[in-house]
Amino acid sequence: MTVNYDDIEVGNKMPVYTSEPITITHLVRYAGASGDFNPLHYDQTFAKVIGMKNVIAHGMLIMGIAGEAITSWIENKYLRKFNVRFLSMTEPADWDDMENTKDRATIIVSGEVVKKFEENGEKIIQCDIIAQDALGSKKLSGFFIAALP
Amino acid sequence: MADQSKLGFEFPVYTFTVEKEKIIEFAIAVSQKENKEQINPIYYDEEAAKKAGYQGIPVPPTFLTSSFFWTGGGLIGTANILGIDLSRLLHREEEYEYFSSIYAGDVITRKMKVVDMLKKGTGKKSVEVTVLEAELINQRGELVLKSLSRLIEI
Repeated sequence: MTVNYDDIEVGNKMPVYTSEPITITHLVRYAGASGDFNPLHYDQTFAKVIGMKNVIAHGMLIMGIAGEAITSWIENKYLRKFNVRFLSMTEPADWDDMENTKDRATIIVSGEVVKKFEENGEKIIQCDIIAQDALGSKKLSGFFIAALP
Repeated sequence: MADQSKLGFEFPVYTFTVEKEKIIEFAIAVSQKENKEQINPIYYDEEAAKKAGYQGIPVPPTFLTSSFFWTGGGLIGTANILGIDLSRLLHREEEYEYFSSIYAGDVITRKMKVVDMLKKGTGKKSVEVTVLEAELINQRGELVLKSLSRLIEI
């Protein structure tokens, strides 16, 4: 269902999007899809060599999940700008301890409309977004701008 | 430590085709699904895309960053050109400005350059910042997307 400009008010919340707990399998899939084969994202032995205790998710996977969250609400074709700052790293969940590790690997994307205006005949909204894990640690913050019907 | 003389450096221009199968693979990856039947049909079914108001199969919002990894030796090659130490590299910020839709089958030319290099802080607390700007132009000569990537070395 298309979201129209007239349906949106400043202060409206974007529907909250909750990811699956990210596992190394998701990181390998993203590595293959994106071509980002930095071993830091899937090879534990490499992570250890550079002094990290675990592999970490690609920042761009977290942004990709945020993009999926946005386009589950506002159609892709209406996006005009999408900006994020990466705030912290994300460790994947461990299959052998899923119960205790899934929260650090579950990404929750939320957002709030902060501006609404017409410019050059386009109906524009700006929505601030934030992605955090299920423990409350912030992964990225940013905003998107969309021109709506 | 990033090679400061690379400020203004323009990477070799790179042209690639936006492959339909690559879009599907990417859409599956960012939505954490197993197969294409589980993703939004606009990313694999041209009829569904047209019904949704697209002229073809569109790309997910962050798809074009991937082109960065398909060129110039990918991440490692780019880091080497810039003199960046991969083990200290962090991606700090990413921004996309969308000017027009990108569809499967489009032939995209990417022009990327180093638009800023600076050092913040002193001593052990200092970080070096490198900002890359990429312009993506389609087969009709239209600027479709501009991206800014802020990389830091800690």
